[in-house]
Amino acid sequence: MATIIINGQEHTLPEGEKLNAIQMAKRVGVDIPYYCWHPALSVVANCRMCEIEVGSKDPKTGEIKMIPKLVPGCQTPAKDLTVIVTDSAKVKEHQRMIMEFLLINHPLDCPVCDQAGECGLQDYSYEYGQSNHRFIEERIVNPRKDVSSAIQLNQDRCIMCTRCVRFTREISQTGELQVMNRGNHAEIDVFPGHPVDNPLAGNVVDLCPVGALLDKDFLHKQRAWFLSKHDSVCTRCSTGCNISAEENRGQLWRFKPRFNPQVNDYWICDEGRYSYKAANDPALLSAMYLRQNNDLQPAPIDQALKTVGETLGRIAAAGDITAGVLSPFLTVEEAYLMASYIKGLNAANILALGPVPTQGHDRTFTPDQVKGRNGDTSFIVPRPFTIHAEKCPNRKGVEAILEHFQGEVITWGDFEGRAALGDFKAAYVASDAIDPWIDNERAASLRSKVEYLVVQDTTVTPLAERADVVLAGATFAEKAGCYVNANGRLQYSEAALPPRDGSLPDLDVFAILLHRAGGPVRSQEILAELAEAVPAFRAVAGGRVPEFGVSITEPARVGVAPFPFNDPWNESRVQVGAKNA
Amino acid sequence: MAEFEPVLSRNWNVTDGHTLKVYESRGGYQAARKALTTLDPDKVVGIVKDSELRGRGGAGFPCGLKWSFLPKDRKETFMCVNGDESEPATFNNRILIEKDPHQFIEGILIACFATKANTAYVYLRVEYFHAYKVLEAAVAEARAAGHLGKNIYGSGFDLDIWLHRGAGAYICGEETGLIESLEGKRGWPRIKPPFPAIEGAFRKPTVVNNVETLCCVPHIIERGAEWFKSIGTPKSYGPKLYCVSGHVNKQVCVELPLGITCRELIDKHAGGVWKNRKAKAAVPGGISMGLLSAEELDTPLDFESLRKPGCLGLGTAAVTVMDEHTPIIDYLYNCARFFAHESCGQCTPCREGTGWLYKMLKRIKAGGGRLEDLDIMANMANNMGIMPGTTICGLADGAAWPIKNGVAKFRAELEEYIKTHQDPAYGATTLQAAIAKGAYAVPHNGLPPVINSVPTAGALRSPHSA
Repeated sequence: MATIIINGQEHTLPEGEKLNAIQMAKRVGVDIPYYCWHPALSVVANCRMCEIEVGSKDPKTGEIKMIPKLVPGCQTPAKDLTVIVTDSAKVKEHQRMIMEFLLINHPLDCPVCDQAGECGLQDYSYEYGQSNHRFIEERIVNPRKDVSSAIQLNQDRCIMCTRCVRFTREISQTGELQVMNRGNHAEIDVFPGHPVDNPLAGNVVDLCPVGALLDKDFLHKQRAWFLSKHDSVCTRCSTGCNISAEENRGQLWRFKPRFNPQVNDYWICDEGRYSYKAANDPALLSAMYLRQNNDLQPAPIDQALKTVGETLGRIAAAGDITAGVLSPFLTVEEAYLMASYIKGLNAANILALGPVPTQGHDRTFTPDQVKGRNGDTSFIVPRPFTIHAEKCPNRKGVEAILEHFQGEVITWGDFEGRAALGDFKAAYVASDAIDPWIDNERAASLRSKVEYLVVQDTTVTPLAERADVVLAGATFAEKAGCYVNANGRLQYSEAALPPRDGSLPDLDVFAILLHRAGGPVRSQEILAELAEAVPAFRAVAGGRVPEFGVSITEPARVGVAPFPFNDPWNESRVQVGAKNA
Repeated sequence: MAEFEPVLSRNWNVTDGHTLKVYESRGGYQAARKALTTLDPDKVVGIVKDSELRGRGGAGFPCGLKWSFLPKDRKETFMCVNGDESEPATFNNRILIEKDPHQFIEGILIACFATKANTAYVYLRVEYFHAYKVLEAAVAEARAAGHLGKNIYGSGFDLDIWLHRGAGAYICGEETGLIESLEGKRGWPRIKPPFPAIEGAFRKPTVVNNVETLCCVPHIIERGAEWFKSIGTPKSYGPKLYCVSGHVNKQVCVELPLGITCRELIDKHAGGVWKNRKAKAAVPGGISMGLLSAEELDTPLDFESLRKPGCLGLGTAAVTVMDEHTPIIDYLYNCARFFAHESCGQCTPCREGTGWLYKMLKRIKAGGGRLEDLDIMANMANNMGIMPGTTICGLADGAAWPIKNGVAKFRAELEEYIKTHQDPAYGATTLQAAIAKGAYAVPHNGLPPVINSVPTAGALRSPHSA
């Protein structure tokens, strides 16, 4: 255990934890402003914003000896008996000086800048800056440029923290971004013909503390303060990256990564980043449909569900087999209710796993500490980031449920084979997949082998066109629930959007079919039931999911969990006025 | 003091002094032979430590101490020789290499033996093309003669020397900038710790020494630490090459004991100020060290004494003399331009500060100066560099010192210049001036300013200051 003295108060740091002064101060509620430092990147100490007074306390005499000059907090390890002073006049004067320097060439174009509202320069100007401006020389004007087809660089807003450069060197290891020129003409740029187009490129926009690197997809569409952020999980692949789904006026505008040291650290891939668009698709199913006179007609929700319940009940009563297909896009709660429902109709009913989409190979980015610049890199825990080839969020979770209910997992291929033999009287296919997942030919062949076909989906697929009943389910953005990622980690994803008109969240669909009492169900209730019923899910007893999720199959990554640290300008912060009050 | 005998420059005026034959005939490589065959590395480090040889590159760090910082259990050590002599008006390393390359190689050999480095990189300034050619030939000669290579003098010690030419950046003369550049990266100084002795070139323990420092080493081994300490002044021992340039009759590079006064150097060795004029000021050791006024010329040029008149230090001991006709504003402008051009752009205070100082001096020179500019310059100069702790390397200190000394020692002249050189075309606009004061221009309609009220003098608004 280490004792660290911050602004005259003693604080303790548990054994085995390695923090720097910024992290340590943050933990006890003291802000040290910084720009260039990032918990997952090497330390360069070049913005000089985090400079503080540092000293040490003699363990015997209790005498405090301070280093006469200022020291960057990012470079200062929080060792036993370190003395940190962040609120002295010297430190404040220094912070004002740095803010003045950073703003001398800044265009101050906040009204047209996308970063406004989540900008390190804005926040720190207010908190640590000064209101006069001694610089009366000509500013350096640097035009906007493109560093890739998705990212633009407003060089005149740049403060040269080099976070983006270090990201492309150390994390994506593609090294597209460079510092060009020297002195106050230094700028970030790419070499001609080598744009920042690696699979993790979008992260440089999130890393940028100011409005220099901007996502063209989001450019000038929304102001940051209009967006409601929802703690969600990306469903684009089985990594299960933690994201913040940002919504305004019933529409998703962007995904931003959310820190989870067990899964994605601070990053998401571009494929996941732009997958939000699927939730805004105007072609999403907007009503339930019933087949009447060989044509699908829109039907009220209750009527559609009643028809499904009655028909499947009749088939079960006649002793015929219904096959339920649970896609790996369902949450574990949905899968549990659906399995309960299908197996509850007739114990001989069959449950199958829906198609598991795959694309290419797993791609892992392993941060290399040696590739970073020299310096104490011990704060960085090199954690690999993987983009999985399996493009669905919950294969493991659905499989665990299938195994519980019928002791085996019937794959989509086996299901199709058995259906072709005429094993099933009826089929209930719940999909919610993002991409098209079945072609006309296979849809027709499946249709011809079952008498009654229920399709629950979010888009109109060839199978839906041939179904007897089409139920409009929830997209990834509209459902709340848990997914189990490729490493067996169960994580909770919050709904970012309300259900679309004409649709019903899948969980409610199954609850109605099961005649559960008490109106709309909460995913937490179901998760609690599931945890009690299925031993594999014991870890989430009571439906409580820890902040970073919980592993249901494999042990967590070893080592001390890193201190969750987010850039202050990206956090939803209490208003400064409120803080003072 | 006994008659001073130059050692570093003893072969300069000898015909073909740069060849191995002549060097050996004058007792060359005897010190290296003695060290490698009769002493062990720790003994050599001990002798150099005893001699209190201080680094000749600028900072004056004790050389033996630097060598003893290397970890005891190291497997591989690199020697980097800093020949990126880019400080304006400094040229002693160039002459050392061009005129007596073997003395330099012998110094590298002994230093590498002492630090157990089997590879030495000589980082040469790109402009030193002739020095590079001479050194390349000398290294080839030395290798052919067995002074370099495998099992030198049968001692079992191996050494290879690689020459690496820079690409013209001043910052690559900073030791960690040099290492980064040597590794093929952008010459951005590294944060310390770790110091190069622990983790330097290619992440291995590395010693970085100046050319002149290493040239002193053979003489210390040959004549002993006591001899070395008999030269110079306390805490600044040994001979030193002084470069004199600027407004003197004879621009020279001359070897003298440390601690000679600036005036003696100018009058006795450089033939006095030219055109029978008087000196107005002198740069004591490369422009980054500051400025000595005419009254301060009796300051001894050694590592300690220059602090008294407010200079940064001895630096490279390159004295530049300015006669009484030189406007100080021109000197400051040129210094600021140089540092703004050479700042690597890494740390905010240096990147923005050097550029700001340059623009400000340019405006003053053009006729747009304001008296408060001098205060702003002094304020900035006081807050830049590793002395206040606001940058990674010392370039910002070097940029700040001429300004700091210039404004402090020649303020009257600068104020006079500003008052007498006013050109409205270059001045601040009313709005700029008002914003700079923290005020806003009163609108023409006579209504009160709409943006915010005028803060009290010097008020810096911050939620914490309430």
